[in-house]
Order: sequence, then C-alpha cells, then structure tokens
Amino acid sequence: MAFYDGLIDALGLRGSCGDDGGGNLSMADLLAATGDDEAGKEFFPFPSLDNLNEACSNIAQSRDVTKGIENAFLGVKDSLKLVLDPITQPLSWLLDGSLWLFQAVPWFIMIPVLLYITWWVARSVGVTIFVALSLLGLAFIDHYDVTMQTLSIIFVCTGISILLGVPIGIAMSKNDRLQKSVIPILDLLQTLPSFVYLIPLIFLFSVTESKLYGIAIILYAIVPVIRLTDLGIRLVDKDVIEAADAFGMNSRQKLWGVQLPLALPNIMAGVNQTIMMSLAMVVIASLVSAPGLGVNVLRGIRNLELGVGIVAGIGIVLLAVILDRTSKAALDRVDMARKHN
Amino acid sequence: MSDPKVRIRDMYKIFGPRDKDVLAHVKNGMGKEELLVQHKHVLGLQDINVDMQEGEITVIMGLSGSGKSTAIRHLNRLIEPTAGEIYVDGEDVMKLSESGLRSLRQEKMSMVFQKFALLPHRTVAQNAAMSLAIRGRDEDEQKSEALRWLDRVGLTGYDGHYPSQLSGGMQQRVGIARALTANTDIMLMDEAFSALDPLIRTDMQDLLLELQTELNKTIIFITHDLDEALKLADHLVILKDGAVVQQGEPQHILLNPNDPYIEDFVSDINRARVLKARSIMQPITAKKFAGDVRANDNLESMIAVSGGETSLTYRVLNAAGEPVGQIDMRDLVRALVPRVSSTAA
Repeated sequence: MAFYDGLIDALGLRGSCGDDGGGNLSMADLLAATGDDEAGKEFFPFPSLDNLNEACSNIAQSRDVTKGIENAFLGVKDSLKLVLDPITQPLSWLLDGSLWLFQAVPWFIMIPVLLYITWWVARSVGVTIFVALSLLGLAFIDHYDVTMQTLSIIFVCTGISILLGVPIGIAMSKNDRLQKSVIPILDLLQTLPSFVYLIPLIFLFSVTESKLYGIAIILYAIVPVIRLTDLGIRLVDKDVIEAADAFGMNSRQKLWGVQLPLALPNIMAGVNQTIMMSLAMVVIASLVSAPGLGVNVLRGIRNLELGVGIVAGIGIVLLAVILDRTSKAALDRVDMARKHN
Repeated sequence: MSDPKVRIRDMYKIFGPRDKDVLAHVKNGMGKEELLVQHKHVLGLQDINVDMQEGEITVIMGLSGSGKSTAIRHLNRLIEPTAGEIYVDGEDVMKLSESGLRSLRQEKMSMVFQKFALLPHRTVAQNAAMSLAIRGRDEDEQKSEALRWLDRVGLTGYDGHYPSQLSGGMQQRVGIARALTANTDIMLMDEAFSALDPLIRTDMQDLLLELQTELNKTIIFITHDLDEALKLADHLVILKDGAVVQQGEPQHILLNPNDPYIEDFVSDINRARVLKARSIMQPITAKKFAGDVRANDNLESMIAVSGGETSLTYRVLNAAGEPVGQIDMRDLVRALVPRVSSTAA
C-alpha cells in the first residue's frame, strides 16, 4: 500500500483516481516489484509526484513533466523553424562566406592585412609586434588554418553582436520599462551554462548548418555590449544632456552628437567583453561542428591526445590575448581622445 | 512701459506623481511641510507672477531649495509646470508643440549653466558654435561666429583647445560665448558664476555688465548671492520656499524690505557701497549746496566727498547734468542703518 492512500481517501478523491495500477510503472515500482515490498520504503516519503502517483494513478508522474516539456518544444518546433529558418539563413551565409574568405586569402596577404588592422585600431607598436609574433608562431606550428577559422567566426559573431547589441542598449537606456524587462533575459543568457544553449538549437537546426553555432555564440556574447551601451548612455553627464536640450537639439542630434560619443568608452569596454565571450563560446561550439581551434581541443579530450589539446589551448590563449590587447588599446585611445592631456 | 518680454502667470510646480490632484490643496493654502507629510508631494513653486522687461537683467535670488533653479527651467520648459502660463513675446510657451519648443530654445532663449555643461569631446570653437550647428548652419558661418564671440569674451586663440584644458573661469567664458553665438534675445543664466572663485566671479560680472550695455539682451539671472544680485539686477525677485517674497527695483527692496526674511538678508550688506544717491534723494528745497553728485554715485563716494561732515547738503544731478534732487548728509547716515525687523521693534 502506498503511503499517501490515506490522504487521497481523506480528501475524498478516491473516486476520481480511477482503477488502481492503471498508471505507468516507475523505475521504483519495477525495483520494488523485484525485491521485497516494504523494505525499501521510507518512513515518511516526500509528497513528490511519483509518490502521490502510487496512491492515485491519475496524478502525473515526474517523468511526464520532462516528457511534457519535450513534447511542447517538439510541438512548436516546426512552426518556430518556419519563422526562424529564413531569418537566420543570412547568418549561415555570412559565416560560410567569411570562413571561405579567411582561408582563400593566402597567408602572405592575410597576415599583413591583420597586422595593418591591428595598427589601425590600436595605434600601438608593442601590440602590433605581439600580434605579429603570435600569428607567425601559430602558423609555424601549422595551426594557421584553424586559427583563421576561429578568427573568422569571432569576427562575424562579434560584428553581429555589436550591430544588434548597441541599438538594443540604446533602446534600453531610453525606456525604463524596456530595461526592466530585458535585464532578466540578459541575466538568463549570462548564467545559462553554455552547453545548455546548444540543446534547443540542435533540435531547431541541422548540425551541418553553421548558423547553429553562430546563434549560440551570439546569444552568449551579445550580453555585455547591450549592458554597457545601456549603462554608458545612462551615465552621460546629466548637465550636458540638459544643455543639449536647452539649446534645442532633437533626439537624433542628442544621440549622435552627445550621448554616443560620451558613452563610447563604456561601449568599447562592452565590445572587448563581447569578443572575449565569443572566443570562449567558439570552443564549446566545436561540439556542434564549429571549425577552428576548438576542434583540436575536442580531439584532445575525446582521443586523450594530450599534446594536441594543449597546443590548441595555448593557441586559444594567444588569440584571446591578441584580441583583448588590441581592443583594449583601441579603448584607451578613445579615452585618451577624451582627456586631451 | 512696453509689454514685458517674458511673463510668468500663476505658475505652480509640485513634484510627485499626482501633482495635478494635490494642486487644489496648495491653492487652498496648504504649506510645503504639510503637503510633504500628508500627500508625499514636494512643493517646488507656488503662485509665481513675474514680468521680465526687454533689455533688463532680472535677477531671481533665493537660498538653495527656494526653487530658483526650478523656476528658470520653466521658461524653456526643461521642467514642465504643474499649472500656469508663460509668455515670451506674447506667445504662450505652454501651448507650443515639440518642434515649436525646439525652435524657441534654438532661436529665442539660450542658457548658461552653473557647471558649464560644455561638450567635453568638442573643441572650444565647436562648443561655442553648438547652437548654429544644431540649426544646421554651414561650417564657415559657425566658425566665424564662434571666433567672433570667443574673441569678445576674451578667449582669443583658445578655439582649438578642449574644455578640460581650460580653467573654470575660462570654461564659463566658453559657456557665455556659446549663449551669445546663439544670438537670442533672451539669456537664461543659472547660477552662472557660483562655481567660480570670488575674483574671477567679479571679473565675469563686469564682463556681463559690459556685454549688456552693448547688446541689451533680456537676461534672467539666478543667484544665491545678494551682492551679486544687487550688482547685476535691474529687477530683483526674491524667492523663499517656492514663493515670491518681494520683487522690485533692488534699491527699493534694500530700503523697504517687506519681510523679516529679507531684512535678515539685507542686514549684512555694505549699504554705503550698494545704495545710490538717487535712491535716497529728496525733492530740492535748499538754496545753497556744498557740491554736486551724480544720481548713480554710491553713498560711499559721497561720504568720501563730504569728508565725513554731516551738516552739508548736496545737489544730485542726473546723467544729463540736470538737478533732480538733494541729499542731506544726515539722511544719508540714517539710510546706512538697516531697518530693524518690525517684529523686533
């Protein structure tokens, strides 16, 4: 006899419970059926779904909950896919196109171009030399191709994160209600374990499509740029905004002439974080066929190839330092322009 | 007297979510404290009626929390009043659309701020030309106008600097140049000199008076400093707890304070330096005079002229040199004693 029989009877629900034993057998039932009956029972079990189900078979079991979520997701999957597929298709093209471009350009053009970009954004001799040494070093141990793949994915995903994130941040800074409703979503995106992003995406899109990892990376990396754009605009000196109003600026002039330039150091800090987070995610995304250094790390784990994994890991660290130093140098440059001292 | 340039009628400001609802209580005489305790609303301004004449400096004075900064922000609607009307050139500012309000701010009223509020990422010249840039004027005009006014406020050669490279006094000169470049009839100055140290402040006051004799703008100036108010004001408005306690010609207020609050206020003033001969002169009755003084001479200079002798009588001449009154030195000495509070007497 189940523990909660008495409770069900007392509440007068026996009639609605239907025939006893009609429900699905739980694992515990099967175990109990094989062993002796009362030995495994607790004295006062928690009134969980499974325990209640023993007393009344019309009460759902816990596995019905997970089943329900799965069914619900599969139920909306097709219609969701119908909407999301065409919207996100350009992402696949971008990622594939960029991958092709990064690999099609020969190294003796690509490396100088990258160095020139570094110089252009950072204006720092030290950083440029460091980037040069790192890239040449990686190429020397035949990691040039995977490095370029990773870099290409980061370029595309960070670019899209900035394109989407900055306007969202601006909208949040203008509207308190929007800010209140978006912040929990950002918290969720930031705390959700990065592996969990992949689960629904795998069901929605085929693993062979590059947008699968693209979306995962963007969702993970877009958070800081949104947060810091919002914060940066809110932190702009109220007196300066008042002066802009007092001289009759319209909201577009205020945004482009005052708010964005003064928020730029904060936005750049957000971009720096976004780059770092997309690098972190691009490694995990190798689980769903994202090419690059992450694949080698994965190989190191799967095949216990210690050396391969560690070299790829060091490559990722180097890339991280390159991207961080370059974007930080750019940030400093923006800040310096502000101080003029 | 012609129509006032700016006119404020029955203006009220209550801070809080239900300001319109509690307005009735305030109109029925509920005080600031009561309103805060019973309705959790803060009374900012009550029953403000001020006329500001064209070409005059109207000074609104009060201690912090008296609502003076709130009041000036109503004129260009940086703050929306709870009730009341504001007329600029006879046009009701409260009825303006958003774009109408913007063009009012661009073309009729410029503003100078206590904390300068310059754009830190723009050069001094770009800051000075801000109002023209907003109106979409071409670069050459922006540049030449900005340089002209920077020159006028004594910042020749600083146009390429950034605000953070300038001292406070110089930054505020940029602020004034920015307001002048806008070429508006009305200038709002919100404690424009309060953040500056005393010597610089005197310099800036002189600069403002000098510009004013030349430009004849309608200036609304906010300050908490009575000396500054008396130096600049053509028309003085004294605010306390969001209400006007007294307004009028500053000399008149000084000689006839109508409230113990103002008596306290004016008792610390160096009256000999602030009061002018015209304020205390009497109709001419004497035949013989010890000498002539100008109507705008202050009493200090008269004491110096008389050598401290109190038995003399001086003739007062106006700017054109015509006799307009006389001053008995005994009256002068009496005028130097602040009136004792009526409650204390």
